[in-house]
Amino acid sequence: MRSRLATPGLLGLPLVWLLVFFIVPIGIVGAYSVDALHGPEIFAQAHTVSVDAWTHFFHSSVYLGLFWKSVKMSLIVSLVVVALAYPVAYYLALSGTKRKYVLLLILIAPFLTSYLLRVLAWKVILGNNGVLNSFLAWTGIRSADHPLSQLLYSRFAVMLVLAYVWIPFVALPVFVSLETLDRRLLEAAADLGASRLQAFLRVTLPLSLPGVAAAFLFVFIPTVGEFVTPSLVGGPSGYMYGNQISDLFSTGFPDWETGSVLALFLLGVVTVLTAAFSRFMRIGEVASS
Amino acid sequence: MEGSELTERRISREGLLKLVAAGGGAALIGGPSAVAEAARKQLEQESGRLQVLDWVGYEVKQLYAPYLKKYPGQKPKFTFMTNEADALAKLSAGLKPDVVRPYVGYVPDFADSGFFQPWDPKLIPNLKQLNPSMVKAGQYKGKQWGIPQDWGFDAILYRTDKVKPKAKSWGLLFDDRYKGKIAWFDDLNALVWAGYYLGFKKPYDQSDAELKRSQNLLKSKKKNVRMFWSSETDMQSAFASGDLWIAYAWPADWVAMKAKKLKVAYMYPKEGAISWIGMLMLGKNSPRRQHAHAFANAWSSVQTGTWLENNYGYGHSNAHARPTSKDLISALKLNTPSAITEPHAHIDRDIPRRALYARMWEEVKAS
Repeated sequence: MRSRLATPGLLGLPLVWLLVFFIVPIGIVGAYSVDALHGPEIFAQAHTVSVDAWTHFFHSSVYLGLFWKSVKMSLIVSLVVVALAYPVAYYLALSGTKRKYVLLLILIAPFLTSYLLRVLAWKVILGNNGVLNSFLAWTGIRSADHPLSQLLYSRFAVMLVLAYVWIPFVALPVFVSLETLDRRLLEAAADLGASRLQAFLRVTLPLSLPGVAAAFLFVFIPTVGEFVTPSLVGGPSGYMYGNQISDLFSTGFPDWETGSVLALFLLGVVTVLTAAFSRFMRIGEVASS
Repeated sequence: MEGSELTERRISREGLLKLVAAGGGAALIGGPSAVAEAARKQLEQESGRLQVLDWVGYEVKQLYAPYLKKYPGQKPKFTFMTNEADALAKLSAGLKPDVVRPYVGYVPDFADSGFFQPWDPKLIPNLKQLNPSMVKAGQYKGKQWGIPQDWGFDAILYRTDKVKPKAKSWGLLFDDRYKGKIAWFDDLNALVWAGYYLGFKKPYDQSDAELKRSQNLLKSKKKNVRMFWSSETDMQSAFASGDLWIAYAWPADWVAMKAKKLKVAYMYPKEGAISWIGMLMLGKNSPRRQHAHAFANAWSSVQTGTWLENNYGYGHSNAHARPTSKDLISALKLNTPSAITEPHAHIDRDIPRRALYARMWEEVKAS
């Protein structure tokens, strides 16, 4: 009897939390998207429930184009970051170094500073008079009058900063999956004549894939809807889907109807993607491992 | 904390008279205890710091020094807006400022929004010193909804040592020769100045075909733009560091860049600059009505006007305010308020299809 009551009791609070702070807000955003609710407006307008904003969205090459651009940017960032973080996590987990937790702490040390500061610091590095361009001018590689202006306020700048910001996030799940790897499997592989590369490709890598997939999603999901970094270092070419959502809700002229459609579409895509990844990459194994 | 502020506050003569009047009325009805109660209520009604929703840069105390003299130690509490839509969003979200500053084109819309009430001109003695045509621009349906303050232009700031304009035109913001060095203001008004560039008769009220042309022009020239700025500080810092050479800007930006010893000019396009007048508006049901009027009165003073002109390079509606720098006067036309009206400039006005303009501007950014 007690155990039968304990489960709903334990689950109750998180469920209420989810309902109040996740499901209900999504419902409200959904109501905005069909004009059943409406945001602030300077001109009083008549409101009728309609799916016009949805229709406009799916017929607009602009919004879908921007979404695709953001997906591509996030994909590149996620892949590059995973590729960069993997060797770091591999070294920390499998090299047998005694200082691995100290090194891990150093890796995540940037998180002790403000996100905004970390992004803004890149402006000092990438600007026309920034560290990088000054160095290029000092070495004579580039004239001071013709600095590399593509470094800042560009798509490149957004991807670079996002990669920098997210590397520790990626390294952690990969590290966890590698550290829990059963070392006897590697010994067995060696006993059976596998080279170190073969052991890595056939044992380590496949077994760490759930961690890699989780890491990939850890980066991809937030970056595809990112708007702070692009608004600080992106310029027009680094403008992303998240910026458009933010702008539709706040700057320019509020259009909560369209903004809600964009936000829900993003949520839908991310949900589908997460479900697909969870199914094929068995992310649950990371937790169990 | 609130209580100690209350007791420490110096009550002005005006406030005292009001208290006495309120107390007197109550005395007739309820005797001494009612007097004390009415006085306390009146004081409480005006308690707390004045809440102002304003633009960044306007929080400096020199701009409302007479208010602080009247109410020592009661610096208003500022919240910042990036544009009028942002202000409206904040109001809708529950912010209840006593004073807000939209620009002249938005006064009727804001008045109709239900978030504001008209001012009582009798409580703003300095109103008499303000430019009558600007005061009139703040009127709507026979009431004084806006008190005119700062005025100036939206035009083009550029580096004279780096940029050689082909003409004094909005076209400089499209110039392919300066790709990657140009900044546009992140605002639906881009469709308006693009419309002026294209020679439309009513850029504020373009036909569908005209709007499409303006939008296409902006889309095609977006490749030259390094930054859509919404924070003036960001734009100024990028301009100062050499990331930008040409920017859609305000007079204060010219002043700021001159102060950084940059060789800059402020260009008034031949198609006409866009001009504006800042209007202080009074929040509906403001619990600090007296303070709000005192704040508007302080902003309307010669002292504030002169400081604004000298330090920000904006004009001021007070006809007696005069900047001390001749440079400022000639570069920013500060002595000629008529410079902001037709045919010299196009004053910011109501855009009937603002929502459509906004959507089209968002599409430019997203394209």
